[in-house]
Amino acid sequence: MRYTSFTSYDLILLAQGLGVSVALFLVTTLIGFLIGTIWAVMRFYRVPLLTPLITFLAELLKNSPVLVQLFLVFFGLPALLKINVTPVEAAVITLSGNTAAFIYVIAVAAIESIGRDQIESARVFGLSRWQILRHVVAPQAMAFAIGPLTGLLVNQLQVTSLISVIGVVDLTKIGNILNLRTLKPFIVWTVVGGLYYIAAKLIALGGARLERRLRAHTAWKGL
Amino acid sequence: MIRARGVQKSFGSAVVLDGIDLDVNVGEVVSILGSSGSGKSTLIRCMNGLERLDGGLITIDDFDVSNPKDLAEARKRSATVFQLFNLYPHMTAVENVTLAPIQVLRIPRAQAESEARALLDSVGLGARADAYPAQLSGGQRQRVGICRALAMKPRYLLLDEITSALDPEMTAEVLNILAQLARTGTTMVFVTHEIEFARTISSRIVFLDKGRLVVDLPTDRFFAGDGGMANARIAQFLSKMRKE
Ligand SMILES: Nc1ncnc2c1ncn2[C@@H]1O[C@H](COP(=O)(O)OP(=O)(O)O)[C@@H](O)[C@H]1O
Ligand SMILES: [Mg+2]
Repeated sequence: MRYTSFTSYDLILLAQGLGVSVALFLVTTLIGFLIGTIWAVMRFYRVPLLTPLITFLAELLKNSPVLVQLFLVFFGLPALLKINVTPVEAAVITLSGNTAAFIYVIAVAAIESIGRDQIESARVFGLSRWQILRHVVAPQAMAFAIGPLTGLLVNQLQVTSLISVIGVVDLTKIGNILNLRTLKPFIVWTVVGGLYYIAAKLIALGGARLERRLRAHTAWKGL
Repeated sequence: MIRARGVQKSFGSAVVLDGIDLDVNVGEVVSILGSSGSGKSTLIRCMNGLERLDGGLITIDDFDVSNPKDLAEARKRSATVFQLFNLYPHMTAVENVTLAPIQVLRIPRAQAESEARALLDSVGLGARADAYPAQLSGGQRQRVGICRALAMKPRYLLLDEITSALDPEMTAEVLNILAQLARTGTTMVFVTHEIEFARTISSRIVFLDKGRLVVDLPTDRFFAGDGGMANARIAQFLSKMRKE
């Protein structure tokens, strides 16, 4: 067997790379979701000072390239603070922050889509602001947000491929390694692209299923 | 009792309520008539604390709605039914009815649910208790809206044109329930354009015109030629309403 031919071990490499990509995606989505939602809740409570600050931060994160943010965290932060940042840490910090910014924007739009009548009819019955958020606003906002959210997550999965440039051995990095060894770029990148496609499709399918469930109440089932 | 004294409310430079005095005693049905834009909804929204008063005072059983400490107690004593129902679309009828009793009154879920089902049953919706608002007709939705208010066991029901979004048949469904409530002595503040119905259930009728309370009379006096009808604005309003 020649050095350049594919082996079954390459499949394990690809699976590992995919695992790293998906794990990073899941972890940063979770962190980003938490942070973005907390930001949106602070805005719902109209926390003074913090709200404009969060909006500004989200704007910054949204409107600058993720790759630049990644370099800033990986190269810039260690230089400034004299600390050590590993590639994985830099990837988690950057992608979480980026996801948080977009989730914040989606969550704010979703909360603002809830009619004032909904909040008023809960207020007159004496529900507290938290109870209104929890029982009236959040479920409806979630049904509104799930579509854009699914789109965002499909995109954020692709964005994880950027982290290969700082040396995280994700699916793209594995693709690079295999490509250099086998010198068969078309096959390698087709397979890698196909794996991203399948993962993205699963996210989209999951999102669509959740959306159907969350919007079940709008369906007319006849009298 | 509900007591309003010198209530002032403006939106920007527009004075919408201009010194309203009104008492509603327990057991009374007080209907509020007036043309569109006269301030009827705003008065109801001041009573349930959705609008801040610019002047004057509203108390519900001596709890001042302008005082944040009193407002919660005032709101427990009154319950509002809205013109456009304002049901929570993601909750079934029974969930709509039980939300506030569970969250605000801390009634155990099972008890709240069985009470809600009994209420829905009493307005002919027993079989639709698990339907979502989108699956109900307008009249059914408003009946859920009434149940949601009644589930709080309020001393005062505030009803703001609750049939004006409904067709005549559905209006009749909803008014029948109100007639029943009136018979059992429920205290109501009833904003409406259903003049004839108001006449049959009201103890008193008040007429609002451009933010002022023009008359406040016992029902028979309101419709008497030398009573409310002696007022040109009221006579004109009633004849216009009857033509429609
Ligand atoms: N939130 C608001 N902002 C500005 N103007 C308002 C608002 N609510 C009501 N108004 C105005 O106040 C007046 C009285 O309104 P409303 O109380 O709804 O009258 P009604 O219920 O008798 O038809 C109207 O001219 C209306 O345009
Ligand atoms: Mg009105």
